[in-house]
Amino acid sequence: MKSDALRAFAIWLLVVLASVWVIRHTTITGDITAFLPSQPSEAQQILVDQLQDGMVSRILLLAIEGGDEAQRVAASKAFVDQLTTLPSLAYVQNGDETRMGPERDFLLKNRYLLSDAVTPQHFSEEELRDSLNKNIDLLGSPLGMLVKRILPQDPTGEFIHLIEQFEGESRPAQRDGVWFSRDGKRALFVAQTKAPGFDMDAQEVIQRDIHARFAEIAGDKQLKLLAIGPGIFAINTRAAIAYDATKYSTIATVLIAALLLWFYRSPRILVLGLLPVGTGALVGISAASLVYGSVHGVTLGFGVTLIGEAVDYAIYLFTQQSAERPARESLARIWPTLRLGVLTSVTGFSAMLFSGFPGLGQLGIFSIAGIVTALLVTRWVLPHFMPTGFNAKIGVDLQRRLLGAARYAPKMRMLVWALVAVALGVLFWHRAALWNDDLGSLSPMPIADKKLDEALRNDIGAPEVGVLLAVKDADEESALRRSENLVQALRPLVEQGAITGFDAPSLYLPSKAIQEARRASLPEASMLQTNLDAALQGMPFQNGLFQPFLDDIASSRSVPLLTRDGLAGTAFQLKVDGLLMTRRGATVALLPIRGLKDEARLRQAVVDLHDAKVSLINFKGESDQLFSRFRHQAIVNALLGASAISILLLVSLRGLGRAYRVVAPLAAAVIVTIALTLMFGHALSIFHVVALLLVIGVGSNYSLFFDNENFARAAPERTLASLVLCNISTIIGFGLLGLCQTPVLAVIGATVACGAFLSLIFAAVLTPNRSVSAPVISS
Amino acid sequence: MTIPRLSFFILVAILAGAVRGAEPAWGLSELMIDLGRVKQANGTFVEKKYLKLLSAPLESSGQLIYTAPHRLEKLTLAPKPESMVVDQDTLTIEMRGRKRSLQIQDYPVLWAFVESIRGTLKGDLSALQQFYKVKLEGTRQTWQLQMQPTEKKMAALIQTIFVRGSKDRVNAIEIVESDGDRSVMTVIGDVITGAANETINHGLRATPGPLDTAS
Repeated sequence: MKSDALRAFAIWLLVVLASVWVIRHTTITGDITAFLPSQPSEAQQILVDQLQDGMVSRILLLAIEGGDEAQRVAASKAFVDQLTTLPSLAYVQNGDETRMGPERDFLLKNRYLLSDAVTPQHFSEEELRDSLNKNIDLLGSPLGMLVKRILPQDPTGEFIHLIEQFEGESRPAQRDGVWFSRDGKRALFVAQTKAPGFDMDAQEVIQRDIHARFAEIAGDKQLKLLAIGPGIFAINTRAAIAYDATKYSTIATVLIAALLLWFYRSPRILVLGLLPVGTGALVGISAASLVYGSVHGVTLGFGVTLIGEAVDYAIYLFTQQSAERPARESLARIWPTLRLGVLTSVTGFSAMLFSGFPGLGQLGIFSIAGIVTALLVTRWVLPHFMPTGFNAKIGVDLQRRLLGAARYAPKMRMLVWALVAVALGVLFWHRAALWNDDLGSLSPMPIADKKLDEALRNDIGAPEVGVLLAVKDADEESALRRSENLVQALRPLVEQGAITGFDAPSLYLPSKAIQEARRASLPEASMLQTNLDAALQGMPFQNGLFQPFLDDIASSRSVPLLTRDGLAGTAFQLKVDGLLMTRRGATVALLPIRGLKDEARLRQAVVDLHDAKVSLINFKGESDQLFSRFRHQAIVNALLGASAISILLLVSLRGLGRAYRVVAPLAAAVIVTIALTLMFGHALSIFHVVALLLVIGVGSNYSLFFDNENFARAAPERTLASLVLCNISTIIGFGLLGLCQTPVLAVIGATVACGAFLSLIFAAVLTPNRSVSAPVISS
Repeated sequence: MTIPRLSFFILVAILAGAVRGAEPAWGLSELMIDLGRVKQANGTFVEKKYLKLLSAPLESSGQLIYTAPHRLEKLTLAPKPESMVVDQDTLTIEMRGRKRSLQIQDYPVLWAFVESIRGTLKGDLSALQQFYKVKLEGTRQTWQLQMQPTEKKMAALIQTIFVRGSKDRVNAIEIVESDGDRSVMTVIGDVITGAANETINHGLRATPGPLDTAS
C-alpha cells in the first residue's frame, strides 16, 4: 500500500518534471498559418507561403500621429533617416522622392538591360529619327520640363519607358513631399523586415528598436507612433493570448478552488482536486510540442479550458466518498462511467487529429493528452493521498432540493423538445449564413490591431493582393523567362484597358538570355554615330547634344549582366524577393495584376499561352476556397467525431435504448447552443466546432452518470451533487473565458459554458433515472 | 425711438456717400473678381518655346477653352494634334494617339503649373497663393501677374510665370524655367461663340454663358 503510493508519486513526479523540461524548450508561435491546411493545392500553397514568410509577412506599416502638420512632416523625415540605419530592416520609405535616388540610379544605369524596347533596330537611323521626333513633341508639352534634363543621355526614352511600367500603382497622398493619409492626420511609412513575420523573437526586437528610435526623434512632442503588420499581429496575438490565458485561468482557478474548498472543507482535498488539471495541462502542452515542434498560442490558451473538464474527475471521486466507503471502493464504482466519459471525449477530439490543419491537430493532441493524463492521475494517484475517512458532507436541505429538482425535471420533457424544435427552426432560418468565412474568424488577432491595419492600408493605398499569375519552373532563369513570356502577353491587355497594369520579377531582373540579347543589340560606337547623325538631319537639336547618349551606349556594351545582388539596396530587391520565390526545389514567379477590369479577357490571354505551368490565382477566390475547405473539413470532423461517439456509446452501453438516453440530451444541448450562437449574431467557425466537441466531452459525463442506475441507486444525492458541482466549475472556467479579448478563446468559452449548462439540464430532463424517482433519501 | 432712427439714416447716408465718393481702387482682389465673373472663354493660342537643347524655337498653335470653374482644355492642332484637358483633379493628356489620365495632386509640379493658368482664369487667388508668391503690376487695362513658386521642387524647375491680360481677358502666358528656357503663349481672340461683328477681340475672350449656337 505504502510502496504503491510511493511508486505512483514517483511516476507522477517524473512525468511532471519531463513535461516541464519539454515546455522550457518549446517555442510558442502565434501565426495564423497554423490554421491553414498542411497539404494545400498549388495555388493555396502560394497563398500560404506568402502569409508565412513571403514579402507579405515582412511588411510593416508605420504612421505618426499627433502634433501639428509641420511636426509630423519633420518627424517623418527624421524618423525615416533613423530607420534606414536599422540593420534589421531591409527597406523603409516615406514617399520622399529625394530618397528614391538608388532606384533612379539603378534604372538609369541598367536601362539598356531592362528595357524591352531594346532591339538591334532600335538604334537604326529610322527608329532613332522616330525617337527624336517623339522627343520634340514631348519638349513642346508641359511634360517637357520634366524630361529635358535626361534627354541628352537617353534620347530613345528607355528611362521613361521603364518608369511607365509603374503606372497604375496606387500612391498615397503627400504633404510636403512625404506620404500622408488623405486627411493629413498621419504621416505614413512602409518598411520591410529582413526576418519573416513568424519569427516572433526577431520581430519583437525590431519592434523595440523602432519604438526606441521613434522616442529619440519624438522627444517631448505630442507625437505617437502606430505600427502594424503580420509580424506585429503575431507578437500582439501571442501577448494577448498569454495575457488572457494567464488572467482568466488564474481567476478561474481561484474561483473553482474556493468552490471546492467551500464544498469539501479540506485544503488537502483542494490540492488533490487541482492535481489532475495541472498535470494534464503540463502533459498536454509538452505532447503538442513534441509532436509539432512548437506550440501555438491558441493551444496554450486552451489550457484554461481543460480546467473545466479535468476538474470534474476529481469531483466525481470526492463526492462519492463517504466515511463508510474507502476511496478505492468509490473509485471502483465510478471508474467504468468515468472511463467511458473520457473515452467519449477522446473520440471526439481524435477527429481533429486527422483534419490536415496543424493548428487543429495541436488542439486535439493537447486535449487528448491532457484529459487522459487527468484521468490517470485521478485513478492512480489521488486515492493514495485521500485523507482516510474523508466524507463529502451534503446537507439534508441540499439533498432534498437536488432530488426534488431531479424528480421534477422529466416533466419538462415536452418543453425541451419544443426548444429543440425552435432551435432547428433557427438553424434552418440561418442556413445560408451558418458559417463565417471571414479570415478574421480564424484569426486570433486582437480587434484593435485589425482596425489599425485596415486604416493604414487604406491610407497607404495598399490593397490586399487580388489577382495574380503564377508560373513555376525548375530554376530562377527559366522562371524569369516564363515571366517574360507572360509580360509579352499582358502588355496588350494594358493597352486595351482590360487591366491597369501588372508587376513581374522580370521587369527588374530580366533573364540572362534576354539581358544578353539586349546587350548584343547595342551598336558599336561608329555605327551609332553614323545612324544618329543621319537621323538628326533637319532636326533642331543643338550640335553634340547627344554625346552622353553615345558614351552610355558605349559603356553599356560591356556592362556585366544584372544579378539579384545587383538589386541590393533598392526597392526592386524587395519586389523581386516577393515576386520570385524558390520553394521545395522549384522557382515560382508571381505577376500581380493591377486594376483588373475584364477578367474573362485575362483568362483568355492565359489560355492562349498554352502553358500548363501558368496559373491564374484569384486570392479572394482562393482564400474563399481555402476557408470553404476548412469549413468542410470542420463539418466532416464534427460528424466523424459525433458518429464515433455514438458507436462507442452504442457498443459500451450494449443497447440502442441506453445509447439514445445518453446521446439525446447531448444532441439537444448542441443544437440549442448552435441556435443561441446564431441568434446572438455570430456565424459558426471552426472554433465553435471545437467548443461543441468539448461540450460533448463534458456533457457525456452528465448523462452517463444519470443513466447509470447502479450507482445512482446507492447514493443518488451524491451523484447529483457531484454533477452540479462539476457543472458549476465548468461554467466558471469557460464562462470567464467567454469574457476575454482574444476572439478564439472567447468563442470557445461562451459556447462551452452555455452548452455544458444545457447538457446538465437536458440530461436531468431526458435521462430520467428510475432510482432517483424512487422516494428514497439516504441519511 | 427717434435717435436710433436718425442715426440709422446718418449711417445709410455715410455709407452711400462712401460708395459713391470713393474712386474704385484696382488691385489683386478686383482683378480676381473680374476674372471670376467669366463663365466661359475661348481663344486660339500660339506658343513658342525657346529651349537651350534646340537651335530653333518650337512653335505650336491650337485652341484654349476654359469653362468655369474647373475645366481647362488646351487643344494643340499644329504641328501635331494633341490635347491636355484638366477637369477638377484629373489631367488627361493625349499625345501621339495615346491617352493617359492622372490625378494632379499626385504630381505636385504639374499641379502647380495647371493652377497658375486655371487659378488665374478662375480668379482664385488662394489657389494661386497655395503655390506662388503673386505680384500684380499695371492697370486694369493692361496688367501682369508675376508668380514665383514657393515650393522647393517646383522652384527647381520654374523660376517665374507671367500672366498678362486686359480687364477680364488673358492675353499671354510666359513661363521662365530655372535653367533659362522660356516659353511664351500668346492668346488671340476667337469668333466661335457668335457676335461675328465684334472686331476688337484680343485676348481670351469672355462670353456670358456656356458655348451657345452661333447665329
